[in-house]
Amino acid sequence: MTGAVALQAVVTGVSIGVVYGLVGLGFTLIYRLTRVYAFAHGDVVVGAVFVSVLAVIGSTPVARAPSIPTSVGLAVIAPVAGAVLSASTYLLAVRPYLGGVGTTSGEAVGWVAGGIAAGLAIREGLGLAFTQQAYAVPDPLHLSALKASGVVTLTGGATVPVRTFGVLAIGVVVAVVAHEVVERGRIGLALRATSDDAEAAALLGVPIERVVLVAFLVAGLVAGIAGLLAAPAPGRSLSVDAGVILGLKGVTAALLGGLGSVRGVLVGGVVLGIVEQFTVAWSHLGAAYVDVVPLAILVVVIAVRPEGLRRRVPEPVL
Amino acid sequence: MNVIEVAGDLYLLLAALGLCISVQYADLPILGQSAFVAVGGFGTLQLAQHGFPLGLAVPLSVLMACLGGFLLELGAVRLHGASLALATWGLAWLVAAVLAAFPSVSGGSQGLTHETPVRFVSHWLGVAVTITPTAHLVIAAVLCGIVLLALHRLDRGPVGLDLAAVRAGPALAASLGVRVGARRRGVLAATAALGALGGAGSALLLGTVAPTDVSPLLAVQLLIAVLLAGSLRPWGVVGGFAVIAALPHVADAIATAAGAPPQRVRGAVTACLLVLALVLRGVLRRFNVGVRLLGLAAGDDRDVAVDERAPARPTTLVQAQGVRVAYGAVNALDGIDLELRSGEVHALVGPNGSGKSTLLRVLAGAVRPDSGRVEVTANPTAADVARTPQQTVLLSGLTPLAQAAVGARASMSVTFAGLRHLVATPSSAPYARALASRARQQLAVVGLRHRAVANPAVLGAGEQRLLQVARAAATGANVILLDEPAAGTSASERTLLADAIHAYAGNGAAVCIVEHDMRFVRQVSDRMTVLDAGRVLASGDPETVRRDARVRRAYLGDEDLTR
Repeated sequence: MTGAVALQAVVTGVSIGVVYGLVGLGFTLIYRLTRVYAFAHGDVVVGAVFVSVLAVIGSTPVARAPSIPTSVGLAVIAPVAGAVLSASTYLLAVRPYLGGVGTTSGEAVGWVAGGIAAGLAIREGLGLAFTQQAYAVPDPLHLSALKASGVVTLTGGATVPVRTFGVLAIGVVVAVVAHEVVERGRIGLALRATSDDAEAAALLGVPIERVVLVAFLVAGLVAGIAGLLAAPAPGRSLSVDAGVILGLKGVTAALLGGLGSVRGVLVGGVVLGIVEQFTVAWSHLGAAYVDVVPLAILVVVIAVRPEGLRRRVPEPVL
Repeated sequence: MNVIEVAGDLYLLLAALGLCISVQYADLPILGQSAFVAVGGFGTLQLAQHGFPLGLAVPLSVLMACLGGFLLELGAVRLHGASLALATWGLAWLVAAVLAAFPSVSGGSQGLTHETPVRFVSHWLGVAVTITPTAHLVIAAVLCGIVLLALHRLDRGPVGLDLAAVRAGPALAASLGVRVGARRRGVLAATAALGALGGAGSALLLGTVAPTDVSPLLAVQLLIAVLLAGSLRPWGVVGGFAVIAALPHVADAIATAAGAPPQRVRGAVTACLLVLALVLRGVLRRFNVGVRLLGLAAGDDRDVAVDERAPARPTTLVQAQGVRVAYGAVNALDGIDLELRSGEVHALVGPNGSGKSTLLRVLAGAVRPDSGRVEVTANPTAADVARTPQQTVLLSGLTPLAQAAVGARASMSVTFAGLRHLVATPSSAPYARALASRARQQLAVVGLRHRAVANPAVLGAGEQRLLQVARAAATGANVILLDEPAAGTSASERTLLADAIHAYAGNGAAVCIVEHDMRFVRQVSDRMTVLDAGRVLASGDPETVRRDARVRRAYLGDEDLTR
């Protein structure tokens, strides 16, 4: 592997990794508040994109640069759709099986199965409208138009699509805003109080039910943005079924970052993205391993350190 | 429906029954059964293509899956409920990704093939057997029947008792001397093996296995079959699986009628069924349908004397020195020294939050101290330490007699007790009788003999406390730690409890109780230690401690303890 290819892998990896970080961010947020793994989160990401496409363009999108009204429509509807899908998943599939906010009491198999059913429903429901194997999703953000040639030449001669840098920039901005919301301000205080001790927070007047719903809404909002960043990459197409793997990569990012802070999950995502791109670029492995390596990392990490690589959540003792 | 379809469904039923062992018997939510089915199917056909005879390829692939189950257990030690579900869900997708990425393993989207009908040829034995679809049908049906009967029988033996404790919680099971790790290993290996066997059988029946046959959707469908069974294990799985077997036909009919892609409709119907399974589960639980009490099969009602150990001279059984435990910034225990002697009842008292329960957990080995040492004299015949938790935890679905028998297992451990019970060796019936007899004996000690076969849900709060004590004492442990055993008991039950505690000490056990009822403490204890904010405030015989001015100030606000 030459230096130029390595640099290309790093730049691409960081950009993809930020998207994984955003997916993982929603997962982390939900986990911290409810100790629930959001099994449907990946399907929320992909679902948000396809819902916005269906609403604005219809069921046969083409990869042409969309007009301004179409772009605005996509950019607005995708995050909203993500928020709605995420909140409905919580209300319909997760909440009925929880013992209470912030507890893992109640039966895990209930909300695990609920989450999987919700993901399956989103996937197959959209699959009825979008019958092709995969679709080229138009880019409402017009990030490729940043530069006439559409590519940036790195030192050493390798090229990276200019869109990559746009994704990186927007991803970081969204993450910073999310970090501010979660860690500071009134909402942040309520979120952290609920995540520390839901029962005590409730006694102190924090409306924990609403806080959890807000967390699912925020997670869905960020998921919608992540979907818009990931989906329209040039030369790639998005399948309705891509959600599960994307979600599991987000989970991996969250676990690598320690299931704790927003910053951690972003770092975890970037690490995962770089590893993935090096896997693809390395001649001994190659593109076949693009999903295999991250999933293997997930299985190993969760088996070795289920609470994530950094933070230790105390287990309840008898 | 033709023979091949039915036989194929029966092979998948085998995988569902395997999954049922983990999900229903051990409360381990496994979402990756498709991975083990894949190992069986692809493993068998790959080995066959590499020249292995089928008689070797099938067992080898099943063994590989078993190994996977073992590895999973290594992780499962630390995995609680949902994280195990996430890990196995990841595993299912990992296997799917590997199959998609490597056509050399999976044979591409077309999958691997093998000539049908399968011929088993052994030059050594000089036989060649052709397995027709009808023969497959018989083999699959017989295998399913064997598994169903074995599960039915195992549930009523020592393994069933152990697993009931595991379902109530690994910590509780361990406190009753159940070897949780070994049981989970067995359960996961069985799940994996049956999954692989189903996969291998199905691949040989159809002569092909493709990645889409073992997608994670299969794992979800098998889980639905198990969930639909509700508490009617293992027979309910057959009914649950019938629904899953009908799913493709119904989905395809809907697809044809609506003109929608069949794969999509199958997925959507699966999602609906999963929701339905969850709803039904809740409904069944609410009406308590199908709750079956697990009793002990054998056992005569002869009175057996309480085992009299020779009251040895008091020896120190537990020695704790300088024990410190911190929860975050709070020092729950701040340098505790404590000694428990055989034949002595030692009471731990102190205000709420003074560290009593934490100290019991440390003594039981459930919490590791940040510093300091705890030495427990090993008990060669049974468990070292038994402990009752502060809140009542009942083993649902077990009669009080069976609950005491769970504890008694620890004092009468027999290698391969479950296996011996399964095949009914000559020693298994006497073992069951001895177990029942010891359990009955322990119930008699706490005065619950007349409740031996009652539904535990109808026991009063005090009776449940007594049962919990009997269960712990039945382990035969030298050291018995009781956390607020008298909470919620009536006056007469407290007398029974006091008598039982004296009986345990009289038999040479070291008993340590945490209790707020001072009169009860005075009634039973030989020594008393007062904790305050994680330190020992006073320790000694109850009369001296009670007069200690500091104790009265800290704990009782100058109230007279003798009142």
